[in-house]
Amino acid sequence: MDTKLKYHPPKWPDRFLEFYCNPSRLEQIQGDAYELFHMNLEERGLRYARFRFLIHVLSFFRWGNIRRSKPSYQTYNHGAMFKNYMKIGWRNLSKQKGTTFISVFGLACAVGCCMVAYLFIAHIWFKGMHQPNKNEIFQLTYTVEEDEGKITYGTVAEPISELIPENLNQVKNQTRILTNFSVLIHNNESFLQRSLYVDSGFMEMFEYRMEYGFPGALNEPDEVILTHQLSEKLFGDTHPIGQEISLVTDGTEKLYKVGGVMADLNDMDMFNFDLLVNIESSHNTSLDLPLKDAWSSELWTFVQLEKGTNPMDLNPGLAMLKERQNQINPEKPYLDLELVAYTDLIYKVDQIERGVRTFLGLAPQIVLGAIATFIMILAVFNYINISILMASRRLKEIGVRKVIGSNKWQLIAQFLSENLLVCLMAIVLGSLLAAFLFLPGFNDIASKNLKIDLFNDKYIWMFLAGMLLFITLVSGLYPAIYITSFKPIHILKGNQQLGSKSVFTSVLLTFQFTLAIISIVAGVAFVQTNYINSNRDWGYESSDKIIVNVPSPEDYTPLKNKFAALASVNEISGSQDYVGNWIREEELIYDEQKYEIGLLNAEANYSEVLDLKLKQGRMFNPALISDTEESILVNQKFLDRLGLSFPLTKKITLDSVGYNVVGVVEDFHTIYFQSLIDPLVIRASPDSTFNYLTLKMSAGTAASSMEEVKKIWHETIPRGLFEGKLQTEVFDHEVKDVQGVSKLILFAAILAVVLAALGLFGLVSLNMNSRIKDFCVRKVFGADLGDLSMKLAKRYLIIWVIASVLGGGLAIFLVSTFLNSFFAFHSGVGLIPLGLGFLVLFLVIVGTVSSQIMKIVKANPARILKAE
Amino acid sequence: MKGYNLGELEELILLTVGILDQEAYGVAVLEEIKNQTGRKVNISAIHTVLNRLEDKGYLKSHMGGATEERGGRRKRLFSISATGRAAIEEVKNVRNKLFDQLPPLALDFSHGY
Repeated sequence: MDTKLKYHPPKWPDRFLEFYCNPSRLEQIQGDAYELFHMNLEERGLRYARFRFLIHVLSFFRWGNIRRSKPSYQTYNHGAMFKNYMKIGWRNLSKQKGTTFISVFGLACAVGCCMVAYLFIAHIWFKGMHQPNKNEIFQLTYTVEEDEGKITYGTVAEPISELIPENLNQVKNQTRILTNFSVLIHNNESFLQRSLYVDSGFMEMFEYRMEYGFPGALNEPDEVILTHQLSEKLFGDTHPIGQEISLVTDGTEKLYKVGGVMADLNDMDMFNFDLLVNIESSHNTSLDLPLKDAWSSELWTFVQLEKGTNPMDLNPGLAMLKERQNQINPEKPYLDLELVAYTDLIYKVDQIERGVRTFLGLAPQIVLGAIATFIMILAVFNYINISILMASRRLKEIGVRKVIGSNKWQLIAQFLSENLLVCLMAIVLGSLLAAFLFLPGFNDIASKNLKIDLFNDKYIWMFLAGMLLFITLVSGLYPAIYITSFKPIHILKGNQQLGSKSVFTSVLLTFQFTLAIISIVAGVAFVQTNYINSNRDWGYESSDKIIVNVPSPEDYTPLKNKFAALASVNEISGSQDYVGNWIREEELIYDEQKYEIGLLNAEANYSEVLDLKLKQGRMFNPALISDTEESILVNQKFLDRLGLSFPLTKKITLDSVGYNVVGVVEDFHTIYFQSLIDPLVIRASPDSTFNYLTLKMSAGTAASSMEEVKKIWHETIPRGLFEGKLQTEVFDHEVKDVQGVSKLILFAAILAVVLAALGLFGLVSLNMNSRIKDFCVRKVFGADLGDLSMKLAKRYLIIWVIASVLGGGLAIFLVSTFLNSFFAFHSGVGLIPLGLGFLVLFLVIVGTVSSQIMKIVKANPARILKAE
Repeated sequence: MKGYNLGELEELILLTVGILDQEAYGVAVLEEIKNQTGRKVNISAIHTVLNRLEDKGYLKSHMGGATEERGGRRKRLFSISATGRAAIEEVKNVRNKLFDQLPPLALDFSHGY
């Protein structure tokens, strides 16, 4: 052997060459490269030869030499191949319109549900993300040490904003933001509106689309910017710019001009408001206040940095601000004064107290997400089952393709491309369903304003594309791999049995039935609970009573006297809070034990006006002075909680005054059935503290007197906002919420049943078609209808039994947990929901099977058996 | 006839393959060109041209002649085809024809220098 052959060309370039080189050219190229290497080795030595080898390998890296999956001249055929796939797919789909419809419709429903769920979840997590300057905006927050540990607040001392320009020189814009519910008066009508008090920098930091006027209107101290909705409400069709409105804040009224109208906010916006007001115009500027008070008033402060500024650069300036604050307010030193990126605000909701957003509302997100996932699973399983069965009719095609030379992956690609066609149709149909059916319905239920914004929302495109890919792969991959894995010889010999009895199909079907049962049970249980709750005794007589608000203590007596003069008012009583709303909690002491107990301060006759039911003892006697000073009423729950029985032996201490319990009333619902009845103490108190008046009207006159009450109220308090309502209406808001949820769940249940039914129908009918000869032979030999039905239905009935056991068990667990999280008082998962769930599914099975059996009944066996 | 479009390097390599007669492959062509003309051509360029000429039908090839130096790999041996032969002749004829029409570079004083 020649000595020079001891040396080899360098390995890595050699491997690289083998990697990229077209196999048909590899031998000549590699051979030449080796030969040149050895020539160079002889002439110039090893190093040079190796270097040249590398150069040669690199120079061979040319288009013509690079390996491609297909030789380049075949690219045209590629397109033709896909066109062919699509054409075959399209023909297959249009040949079986029924089953295609089932697949597409099911998937489209699922896509629609997912879109709604996505939009709902996205509007929470992507809040404010469409603002063009979002990456430059920061909020100032501070951290202090409190009893519970370190707490970060989203508000900072107001004077800090004045010090920002001199301390933080990278700041381009800044704004203070204060939200307030202020009373807006226009044409002698008053409205309660969310107003946002901001600096004029606000409109430069955040971009809003203006319909009239221009964003700079806020530079004027007496101009406001309204949203389109509010402007419509106030001015109708008249041109809003220049119109006058007045706002009442902290009891003072101020006149403003409308300087601009912006397009309505959507749910993606970070701030919620109806109008923007310049903060300088109304807010007590800190200059008027003593230094210390100014520093203890706090509000949100946002800054926009110059483009490209690293927020870390501001740290020295922030440290100076912190020092200043700590000098003035040494008893509450800031540990940290920090910038939080606008884009992080949503993710830090839990960490920032008093932030722009206070909670994310995870529960509805989970409910919606779960519903969408349920429906998606159902639809995908439908599709998998049906597509396996449909493909089983194409076994011969697969066999022939394989024999001709398709490899497995080519066949999978073919099936997936057909699948893509179905999913694409489903996505388009699903988007339409979502846009025109689901979303409007959902917006109505949830009082949201979600919409599919294809032009501006790039996330929705990403979502749709991701969805398409996901569904295509999830629903198509298994059928494609399963079907293409058969050996052509078995297929073509005709002894490949497939589909109808496969375990996989049964498992999927069982799972579908289980999901359907769970959703029916959830829907029925929720409706049942609502029904029971709507008839539940509130514990007192709610009819014939009107509650009105008392804005300030000085209005109390005049208002009361005027109402008392009204003929239809039988009795009248004041209270600090009212039954049907939140009631404050106080600490009371009994037998040296402390308890947090609801406390209702009211006039002595309140319990009688409200018709509370006395259980033991007596009600207050307004004539007795001792009753208004040292007596209280309690509810039964109170005695149960404290483990006492009436009469009590000791006094109860409230605000370090001892009280006697003079009576016990039956438990009654102060808040909606979502919460338990809490222990409650009713204390008769002096007049001036009352925020509400309860009027007991003569029977049947409450609703009709409402207008009159409102008129009297406005005559007495011209600059206030009337919040009167009937006692029977106090839970309306909660009832509406709960009914919305119940509609949602019912909708999901119905959809689940429809999907399961469609899937079953597809399966049974495909099964039937492939076994129709079998059935006809049986018919000829005298099998009767019962035998035939049993033969077809047996398998599904077995699945039904399994699913009932599984679904029933899961439903009892899941649905009770769900109900518990919603209601303190509910019907539980009883026999009715479970029974209905099983029954509905049973009927679905019987219905589908009998519709197929009818085919055999009608069929003439001779004709079917004759045909081959 | 429309004519054979042969580039300069193509013509050179086609001729070299003809000269080498049955022994023409990448490295041999490279060496031959170097020896005959002193020109150093990149090996990958030679391969590209050889393949292109084969695509055009001027060359035909077969595999053979493995050597130890090549790691036991065979060479792709090229030989000139009838079309290739015709092409090279056509090119030569056209060139000669044109060349013959060049005015003599003799001492022509008719311009009056």
